[in-house]
Amino acid sequence: MSDTPTLVVDGALPFVTVQDLGRPGHRHLGVPAGGAMDRWALQAANILVGNEPGAAALEWAVGGGMVRLAREGTIALTGAGADAELDGAPVRPWEPLHVRAGGTLAIRGLRGAFLYVALAGGIDVPSLMGSRATYLPGGFGGHDGRRLRAGDVLPLGPAASPAPAGFACPPELCRAIAGPGDDAPLRVVRGPQAGLLDATAWQTLLEAPFHVAPAADRTGYRLLGPPLSLTAEAALPSEPGCPGAVQLPPGGQPIVLMADAPTVGGYPKPLVVCAADLGCLAQRRPGDAVRFIEIDVAAAQRAYRRRRVALWTLSQLVAAGRY
Amino acid sequence: MSWPRIAPLGDGAITVALGDAVEPALNARVHRLAAAVRAAALPGVVDVVPAYAAVTVFYEPLHHGHAELAAALAPLAEAAVRDAPAAAPTSDATSGSLHRIPVRYDGPDLAEVARRTGLTPEEVVRRHAERTYAVYLLGFVPGFAYLGDLDASLVLPRRADPRPRVPVGAVAIAGRQTAVYPLPTPGGWHLIGRTDAPLFDAARTPPALLAPGDRVRFVPA
Repeated sequence: MSDTPTLVVDGALPFVTVQDLGRPGHRHLGVPAGGAMDRWALQAANILVGNEPGAAALEWAVGGGMVRLAREGTIALTGAGADAELDGAPVRPWEPLHVRAGGTLAIRGLRGAFLYVALAGGIDVPSLMGSRATYLPGGFGGHDGRRLRAGDVLPLGPAASPAPAGFACPPELCRAIAGPGDDAPLRVVRGPQAGLLDATAWQTLLEAPFHVAPAADRTGYRLLGPPLSLTAEAALPSEPGCPGAVQLPPGGQPIVLMADAPTVGGYPKPLVVCAADLGCLAQRRPGDAVRFIEIDVAAAQRAYRRRRVALWTLSQLVAAGRY
Repeated sequence: MSWPRIAPLGDGAITVALGDAVEPALNARVHRLAAAVRAAALPGVVDVVPAYAAVTVFYEPLHHGHAELAAALAPLAEAAVRDAPAAAPTSDATSGSLHRIPVRYDGPDLAEVARRTGLTPEEVVRRHAERTYAVYLLGFVPGFAYLGDLDASLVLPRRADPRPRVPVGAVAIAGRQTAVYPLPTPGGWHLIGRTDAPLFDAARTPPALLAPGDRVRFVPA
């Protein structure tokens, strides 16, 4: 019997991939950074189990399925609310959970788009271009470049000290890390082609409620709402986009680029969702409302730094709890 | 309109536009600017991404704010617009690697391309293979290099009926450009040949055969 701790997929998983913070540094070769859709939730889950914030974890996109730990260990759940059971008992998110050897985590349903399950030691699949993230469009990264399925066995790395039993992330700190709730407007900054919208279209974009369309996946979220027209025919030579960029195709229905979006594109980008709030957008599901509120770049960067401070605070609480 | 234009792309990237055209001299300036930005080794910069007419610099906002990084990029951008030597640590515009890619010109669209251009298939192949192409940028999917410019006689709009799946290694043309498909993807370009050259391998370093600013010759095989 191997000494390597492993994670075994027992139940069929509807849509679960291995994700970390992605592989920046290769966009000039057409490789998106990719990684977790809700980067804040991923990092919090890792900190709770004693991992580096960017360790590889499970990103659970649709409810259902079961995984088993072959050896005892620690897990934590963050991100989308979940009806989750550990060996048949309901579990709470945002706290480290001890799992006995052979213990089974079952996910019944999700309230939100992406649940993160971090495991002490992290998922030790091979690193490609500095990341273990699964990139489905290219069929690489993660576990064989694909979604997990029943029978898969994933190695775990050596575990550091997780948060002690009984530790729970204080609710206000959970909120500071996860960001505004379901109905809060998402903070956006003006994008490179904001000038192509006239005053009416700009007002519509910032005031109208949009809804996430059924066509929402790891590459982009299409938004349904009043159509937006551009003042000029935008013949834009393709240029880089980024996760959070709201692009406006000729049809007038915006698409927000997400983690696995292509690196370049030719549609105008009038808005960009700030990095601090991109996880909140990722957690909205088809039919959920989306509203925007404009801030300047300096304010967006302050919001980003506050999120990072909140994660650091969590790591300090976890460290303090160990002693 | 005056160039360069420096604008935020969200709170973790800055786009420096040197123009708004698709043409080789402007694109060469873009690659020189990208090289200059890399050589400057600004702290917190994680990605330097050249496109047709702009370079986008991705950075970690913990290291510096937008205004600070924009100020650091401004002199490099000004120098790139003026074609000043400061912009060009590698001053030769054709300094990128030259790749010779063997091609079997037996693509499913070769006959149609010949018919629509009024050329023989042999002449289509000759004109496609006689040029040295520049890699304008990579995008669409990992390893997909937009190469140009095509001989004017070969310029055709994209296919009206895109293929749901173009095979890996397909050599294709559309508009003024040519490319090799590195991954099986949907595609609307005209397939005129195929190659076994390994365009993309995620496990290789670097993963892509071609880099922005490189040059490519197709060699009939």
